Amino acid sequence: MSARYTNYTQQLMEAIIESPGETASTLRRAVQEQAAQCSSHATPSLGQLPQEVHAYVKKVALHAYKTTTEDIEALRNAGYSEDAIFELTLSAALGAGMIRLERGLLALHGGRDATQEH
Amino acid sequence: MRLKNIEQLQRDEPVSDIRRILSYRPELFGQPFSVFLEAAIRGPSDWSIGERELFAAFVSSTNQCTY
Repeated sequence: MSARYTNYTQQLMEAIIESPGETASTLRRAVQEQAAQCSSHATPSLGQLPQEVHAYVKKVALHAYKTTTEDIEALRNAGYSEDAIFELTLSAALGAGMIRLERGLLALHGGRDATQEH
Repeated sequence: MRLKNIEQLQRDEPVSDIRRILSYRPELFGQPFSVFLEAAIRGPSDWSIGERELFAAFVSSTNQCTY
């Protein structure tokens, strides 16, 4: 990535993942990674994410516009506060956005067409 | 931005979702993202600001997201 933007992306990532909040940074980082895996069409390992979070992260990563009040209510019913949901949503969006940026830059520098890989 | 949000609310005007997201707990997302966005959209580039705004609007539309 252009060095000019590296600092900006690094600061954004640190803010979303490391800022004090309701959720642990480890959970936010796991959400970020799952969203990136979903967005790259890799088979995501279920890993550490609770099932209700995994389903939400996948939707945010692939079809964010399809999220509904019911999706949020499911997380609320599972015990997550609105602040926690805010943090997890940003973490998922971060993972999805950053993998798209990486893929775009890879294509710019002559990388393989990702659509040919699947 | 928060002041603008308050002014809009006082006029019974809806505050856009993106403005709400940028304003709420700005240390978490709004502040660093705004700095990044400013540099990407308005910083030195071979593309004009208008062209970059158009790219962003196009991608948002494909994501079915208001820009």
